[in-house]
Amino acid sequence: MIRHLLKLVWNRKRVNFLIMVEIFFSFIVVFAVIFMAVYSFDNYRKPLGFRYDDVWAIRVQNSQGMPEEDKVNQLATFRALLAATKEFPEVETAALTWLAPYGRGDWNSGRKSKDGSNFDIGQNLASDDLKEVLGLKVIRGRWFSREDDGVKNYKPVVINQKMADMMFGDEDPIGKNVAEPSRDNKPVEELRVVGVIEDYRNRGEFAEHRGFMFFRHDLQNSTEIHPQTIIIRVRPGTTAAFEEKLLKRLQAEASEWSIEIRPLTELRDRMLQQYLVPIAAFGLIAAFLLVMVGLGLTGVLWLNVTQRTKEIGLRRAKGATRHRIYRQILGEVLLIASFGVLIGVIVVVQFPLLDFFAFADPQIFAWAVGISLVMIYGLAILAGIYPSMLATRVVPAEALHYE
Amino acid sequence: MTTTSAAISQPLDTQAGVELMIRLEEVEKVYRTDRIETVALTNVNLAVRTGEFISIMGPSGSGKSTLLNIIGLLDVPSSGKVVINGRTINSYSDRNLSRVRNEEIGFIFQTFHLINDLSVQDNVEIPLLYRRSMTGGERRRLAQEALDRVGLSSRVHHFPSQLSGGQQQRVAIARAIVGKPRVLLADEPTGNLDSQMGDEIMDLLEGLNEQAGTTIIMVTHDPRQAEKTERIHRLFDGRQVN
Amino acid sequence: MLINYLKIAVKVLMRRKFFTFISLFAISFTLVILMIGVSLLDSTFGPGIPETRIDRTLGIFKIEMRCPEEECTWISPGGYKLFNRYFQNLPNIELMSLSTEADLSYSYHQGEKIPSYLKRTDGEFWKIMEFSFVEGGPITTEDERNANFVAVINTATRHKFFGDQQAVGRTIEVDGQRFRVVGVVDNVPYLRQIPFADIWVPISTYKTGLYRDQLMGNFIALIMAPSSADFPAIREEVQARLKQVEFPDPKQWNQISAHAETFFERSSREMTGTPAREASQPLRAMVLIFAAIMLFMLLPTINLININVSRIMERAGEIGVRKSFGASSWTLVGQFVLENVLLTLIGGAIGLILSRFALDAIAKTDFFPYASFQLNYRIFLYGLAMAVFFGLLSGVYPAWRMSRLHPVDALRGAVQGGVR
Repeated sequence: MIRHLLKLVWNRKRVNFLIMVEIFFSFIVVFAVIFMAVYSFDNYRKPLGFRYDDVWAIRVQNSQGMPEEDKVNQLATFRALLAATKEFPEVETAALTWLAPYGRGDWNSGRKSKDGSNFDIGQNLASDDLKEVLGLKVIRGRWFSREDDGVKNYKPVVINQKMADMMFGDEDPIGKNVAEPSRDNKPVEELRVVGVIEDYRNRGEFAEHRGFMFFRHDLQNSTEIHPQTIIIRVRPGTTAAFEEKLLKRLQAEASEWSIEIRPLTELRDRMLQQYLVPIAAFGLIAAFLLVMVGLGLTGVLWLNVTQRTKEIGLRRAKGATRHRIYRQILGEVLLIASFGVLIGVIVVVQFPLLDFFAFADPQIFAWAVGISLVMIYGLAILAGIYPSMLATRVVPAEALHYE
Repeated sequence: MTTTSAAISQPLDTQAGVELMIRLEEVEKVYRTDRIETVALTNVNLAVRTGEFISIMGPSGSGKSTLLNIIGLLDVPSSGKVVINGRTINSYSDRNLSRVRNEEIGFIFQTFHLINDLSVQDNVEIPLLYRRSMTGGERRRLAQEALDRVGLSSRVHHFPSQLSGGQQQRVAIARAIVGKPRVLLADEPTGNLDSQMGDEIMDLLEGLNEQAGTTIIMVTHDPRQAEKTERIHRLFDGRQVN
Repeated sequence: MLINYLKIAVKVLMRRKFFTFISLFAISFTLVILMIGVSLLDSTFGPGIPETRIDRTLGIFKIEMRCPEEECTWISPGGYKLFNRYFQNLPNIELMSLSTEADLSYSYHQGEKIPSYLKRTDGEFWKIMEFSFVEGGPITTEDERNANFVAVINTATRHKFFGDQQAVGRTIEVDGQRFRVVGVVDNVPYLRQIPFADIWVPISTYKTGLYRDQLMGNFIALIMAPSSADFPAIREEVQARLKQVEFPDPKQWNQISAHAETFFERSSREMTGTPAREASQPLRAMVLIFAAIMLFMLLPTINLININVSRIMERAGEIGVRKSFGASSWTLVGQFVLENVLLTLIGGAIGLILSRFALDAIAKTDFFPYASFQLNYRIFLYGLAMAVFFGLLSGVYPAWRMSRLHPVDALRGAVQGGVR
């Protein structure tokens, strides 16, 4: 049967080639969108590592960024602002950081993994209270505390499980140095891991799952990178009216600074939109393309059947059952689709081989290929059903009528 | 066939006075596919004088349609020479052949081959569409004239599906003569018609031959119709037989 | 001849309505997507209120500083000092203006938090941009010189604060500062990044004067010339002025580069990722846009080609007849391409109507604030050009296949094997 179908398909190669090309490009389009969706969904399933409800981010900046001078004064102002937030009963806890979760901007650096490949990690500042404000889960060692006051020779850091896995595998990361070796062999300050948290995905649910590292900041040392954000946990049910009150109070403390209060839920909505809108837009376009291809394919197959009335009639006259004709036509469609899909898979498989999608698990890749295959075959079957049914209606006598 | 042979034996440039409309010399046609060669015509010589009405007969597959297609420049001989109205067809470029077909030849088919989507008028105008610098008004006038000639001037706005088979063939004849070609090639023009309609069509063709002096070559199965022409050529297995 | 072709084309369209539907669906959908893209591009780059003079306006949008080892770069909009000290009195220009990038700022009004984009400008800004005023007038050079706390707001902001009542003369509070409203303008679409804001106030109302001492900051300079013919001279002068820049700490930063560029060149820079030290590559951006269009059109084109090729059989008889009566292959190619272009034009017309609805729907989402996508004659022409282009693209191959049909086969109705 398959050999017979292959022969039939080959003999009509000119017509079938175009169908195959169309299937091939459809597969590529479907794969691109499905891959994006599967990748995002997979990220969405992973734990976020922090809580965002009833958490507000207060971004405080000197109006025009931070000039190098005056850093000591600025730190004093920052301390005063932090103290001012704690005056209010609505504020349960307050901490400082460099950049709030879901915030614009990022702070990265590179590391070498255990197997020698390079990867990027995210970084941030944290005061001792940040764990409580964001509800971070420490799974090994401990979070920053007064114990770390006055340590010399090294800086304490807390990393997430992903970074621990990447750099140390099964070994215990506590007490290890995670500093990035310098290129010119100058001595680098040790970064000593004091704890491992479950996770902290500051760019949100849909973003890449990556290593993360917190530096401790205690608002004393002005030579360090300065925090820019006060992050507070408010009592549930606190409204925008309090936001105004808080802003007035802070603005009074630092009249020349620009202060911006935003609940994390607001920032989260904006960031999710940034991830979802492109997927939705491409998904919509791809869906339309598929409907178009499906209709087009139905039409082409339909015309093919009408042009082959004689052949089909002859088969019927020689004793082929309706069912057999139906299977033959549908089988041909699926065979052509398989060729298109096969080339598509061959092309698509090159991407991970060439390291284009190094950021995604091979598993995600396999899922995306699998779902795309199901969709394309589904499309081919849908497009083939009506023409195949049409073929079964050919009466054997037509073959003899045909001139 | 003696006259024919005599004509062919003369060199081309000395026969101006003989007024040959069509001359085929040693024409051969072989169809080649991947695996097999099919010989459709071998060593066919034919000379048709201007104003002659001849018929070609033979069983199915004898090559008579192929011969007609070669005369009509719809098909290209594998070897041999085709001369039409003094023009030796040695350049088989598409543009060249198209022009000769348009100016010199009119086709009539067994199954009429009218375009169902076009009215009678538009169908008849088709050959004129491919003439440069002809206005729409002129085309309409010539089409009207041709339809008058076949007695269908009242049906200009009908569509082919609204006409009987005989009427459709008349429209096809009008289309064939609208460009005033010197040669009409008719491939079994009565084959799809009953004998009465067939006779009417034959009368029309004979009239065209006698009154306008149009050279007509007709392929037919029907000995009764062939008898009405001046000469009958017979083909068998791609060869001329007497 | 044309009329004959059109008659046949219409007949063919009416004969197999399902196929006509498939074709028109594909064409109109394809053109809707393209029209949305073009419309977005046009509302970003095309002239429109208030950017009515962009054909003779240049801007300095991004500055790049480098440190002595060239290993570090700092890219940001320019600082006030850079423009104020080094770019005074440029020759061959009509006006020069400074304004900041629009920044989110917040107001609290009757217990509600209102976010708005705030932009600080000088008086000249209002002479380069032609805003359409609903009430009052622009910020003036005196306002900027005297640091008057005045503001121009858009109608959306007026609605939020004053509920569509007259706003001129009343005050609004933004980021803890109070401004007297002097003018109300029609909303400026977010896509017009240079003039866009909700509230415009004088630069000199900044909370501190620190901005006056900075080479890097968040200022963009707009330069309006008498005509675009003056652009080369201005660009040269800008380069000459940059050479005069003195660095406060040459050990840290000692090189500076920037370009005076058109608004399209600015976006091209972002699209192609051209660093600020190199000249923008608008040509490359256009190639990118074109490539994206082609990539998108690939599948619809193959689809239409596929349908058209499959329908060749239907036309076999006609092709045979036309060839017998003297149509050359090229004449037939012309006919079939023309038919396909006609089809795409009909699809284009449907697409134009559909894209009207699609664009309205997009404008209603707040993804492009204040967007009102007008289908102006430019977009119509683009749409027409794209429809014709699409028609040619998807028509030529099937037409060529059709024209190559051997007349004998065509008449016999046996084109199973295709072309001989």
